[in-house]
Amino acid sequence: MEFHLYQYLGIIFGVVAFLFTLSRFRKGKLSLGMLALWSGLWIIVILVSIFPNATSQLALASGIGRGLDVVLILGLIGCYYLLFRMFNMMENLKEEMNYLIRELALQRGESGEKEEDEG
Amino acid sequence: MNNDNAPETAEAFFQRYGRDIVVVLPAYNEDQTIARVMDDLLGWGVQLVVVDDGSQDETYRIVQDYLKRYPGRVHLYRHLLNRGVGAALQTGLEAALKRRPRVIVTFDSDGQHHAQDLYGVVRPVVMGQADAVIGTRDFQEMPLHKRFGNTVMNLITLLFYGHQVTDSQSGFRAFTPQAARLMELHSSGYGICSEMVGEVFRHDLHLVEVPISTIFTDYSLSKGTDTRIGLKILIKLIRDVFK
Repeated sequence: MEFHLYQYLGIIFGVVAFLFTLSRFRKGKLSLGMLALWSGLWIIVILVSIFPNATSQLALASGIGRGLDVVLILGLIGCYYLLFRMFNMMENLKEEMNYLIRELALQRGESGEKEEDEG
Repeated sequence: MNNDNAPETAEAFFQRYGRDIVVVLPAYNEDQTIARVMDDLLGWGVQLVVVDDGSQDETYRIVQDYLKRYPGRVHLYRHLLNRGVGAALQTGLEAALKRRPRVIVTFDSDGQHHAQDLYGVVRPVVMGQADAVIGTRDFQEMPLHKRFGNTVMNLITLLFYGHQVTDSQSGFRAFTPQAARLMELHSSGYGICSEMVGEVFRHDLHLVEVPISTIFTDYSLSKGTDTRIGLKILIKLIRDVFK
């Protein structure tokens, strides 16, 4: 089986990304669910790089002309979905930050009233 | 002569009710105006809750001086980071409720409002004639770009909250403590203005509109809602629909 340059690059990228994902999981920075999701994605990248003609089957099944078009369209949809999720996560983080900052402010409020001497 | 029939003056009113009125002042980088605004309001005998929303100028230090000069009448809360006028108002309302007031007032710190209008805004609430009061500005006195922005925001308030008011973006409002407790506010920015209107109607609170005068200076015109902020609020409201 003769490999082209893009296939080598795809395999190397997929392997490096997979190992990085594993490392993040071991350090506790990635949940099991996210490990499964991203590992699955990098494995698909590696497999598609080894067997690029497999995408043609997918193209036939979906009615899209070429295998590459299928990959691009799915990739684009996936990117928009991830962007939307990240945007919502950011908004949630902002709300949590607002809550923390407001609670801190309320706890530290100053009134300039005389404090009673202790003991 | 029987003084019970004498018309009430603002001075007499505030002498009687001033200490039970808490004015919330959200402030972000307002060192040019905050002292004058506080002086004008304290002259009426009210309490102040100042929320410094992460100012980087002298606002915090200026208000701290007032803590010493008016102990027990000025209360200062500070956001470590700037979160927006909505977040500052939420903090201010919660702090004001701790003071067990008869009325809670929100008032801009940029010198846009007249302290003399306080009587007209607060009186309906104190007299039990309203749960909430909005001080409405004269749109004819506004510069064109402000008028446009505020008109658009009135339309957005109508579209998303289902109710029309004359000046939804006015920062000069008064509430009973019960009304303040009922309102569930989430906006951290200027969207809180429309949100407050929505909450008033959602809880069937009695709203009264009172005309107020506005001081337009280059400084006060640089603050507040304009077309750009209005667009940002619109985008956020549309996004919230899909949440």
